[in-house]
Amino acid sequence: MTNLRPTPLDLAAIGTLATALVAGLVVPPDAVQGDLQRIMYVHVPSAWLAYLAFVVTLVGSVAYLVTSRMKWDRIAASSAELGVVFTGLALATGMIWGKPVWGVWWTWDARLVLTAVMFFVYLGYLALRRSMPEPAVRARRSAVFGVLAVVQVPIVHFSVIWWRSLHQPPTVLRPDEPQIDPPLLFALLMSVAAFTVVYAALMRHRIALEAIQSELEDAPEAVAGAAVRPPRLGGADV
Amino acid sequence: MSFWRQTAALVRAQTRSETRTGEVLLVVLPFGAAALFVIPMAVGADSALLQRVGPGLFWMVVLLFGIVVTQRRTAHPSGARSDLLRMLAVDPAARFTATAVVNWALLIAFEIVVGLVMIVLYDPVLTGWAWLVLVVPLSAAGLALVGTLAGSIADGAGVRTTLVPLLVLPVAIPLLLAAAQATEGLRLGTGILRWVLLLAITDLVLAIAGVLTARPLEESDS
Repeated sequence: MTNLRPTPLDLAAIGTLATALVAGLVVPPDAVQGDLQRIMYVHVPSAWLAYLAFVVTLVGSVAYLVTSRMKWDRIAASSAELGVVFTGLALATGMIWGKPVWGVWWTWDARLVLTAVMFFVYLGYLALRRSMPEPAVRARRSAVFGVLAVVQVPIVHFSVIWWRSLHQPPTVLRPDEPQIDPPLLFALLMSVAAFTVVYAALMRHRIALEAIQSELEDAPEAVAGAAVRPPRLGGADV
Repeated sequence: MSFWRQTAALVRAQTRSETRTGEVLLVVLPFGAAALFVIPMAVGADSALLQRVGPGLFWMVVLLFGIVVTQRRTAHPSGARSDLLRMLAVDPAARFTATAVVNWALLIAFEIVVGLVMIVLYDPVLTGWAWLVLVVPLSAAGLALVGTLAGSIADGAGVRTTLVPLLVLPVAIPLLLAAAQATEGLRLGTGILRWVLLLAITDLVLAIAGVLTARPLEESDS
């Protein structure tokens, strides 16, 4: 049976998250947006982790199609689930940030729309998995979908360059130097590191849960009355 | 039997089935036209507004009802028929291609008829309409391919009819955007070549993906 007790990775996740929280609170506020800008330390790492999670889903899907080993399917599924959570977090924090800055919760901007599309594509991936009871069929179908769906990731990332966008262009991952002050960049990178460790810890638990689920699916079905034993009289079966 | 002969035979079989049942031409098509008829009741009978948004609403109807067209009963054979095709060693890529081709033809018919209804009801500006000779088949091809692909992925799922729209809609958004922007470009008299190119590239990517994934998806059935 799989062990779900806390591990050093879980403790590391809690530790780095606490450190990132402190770093995000002590660095100076943004010159224009003030303290409001601190939401970046959640919003940006969420978006990056969503990308990472969906790329891991791609890797797991390709590896499953090549090897047919269920381990890879579990990795792909777990990562997609976490990717959806991080995408949802990025969308939610983006909306909270957008309301005071842009004056609206939502605007029909390329980056926003495409991120929402990516969210729905991977919701479809999860819905597909839930609709297939047979593990091998589920794994192969969702692996194909997982490979096709990842095309959304570069489109979302480069949307702010390809189209005129209200959303700001890349600040850190850009061809020239990052356009961010060193203390803010440090807090942002701390936050990204913390989110990455949290992702790794959650992945470990989610994969373990998937393994337990597989064990349950593979277990022989219980027959009604199987646990009932005939009465024994004087040590002999009746 | 070669790939193309298998494809041709399957196209003939599916066309015959559709002709007999009339699922698309007698059921989905009138329903799509009716949707265009009721929209003004929801947004108001402002002729200038309807003239401006008519083409966009047309593409919306094409996208939503196009999913129904690609998921018609005859596009996805029953378990017994599917098993028979597998035992006859029919190439999965030929099955995909045939279904996509029939979907494409039906979607073109759907777009032409619903497009005429839209012109009658909404009276849009028809500047540069000759470009539609390219836009209509390309958008129909994209929708046919994505619908066929999603149908193959969701084949056998218990909630197939509800699952497929969730799979198709987000993926079909580039098609909707390109088609709608192309018709808007025609209205404004600006260039639409980049939107036509986007449609063509999306179609090509979907066609390659569909053919390449046909066998892995078929293997998951067996």
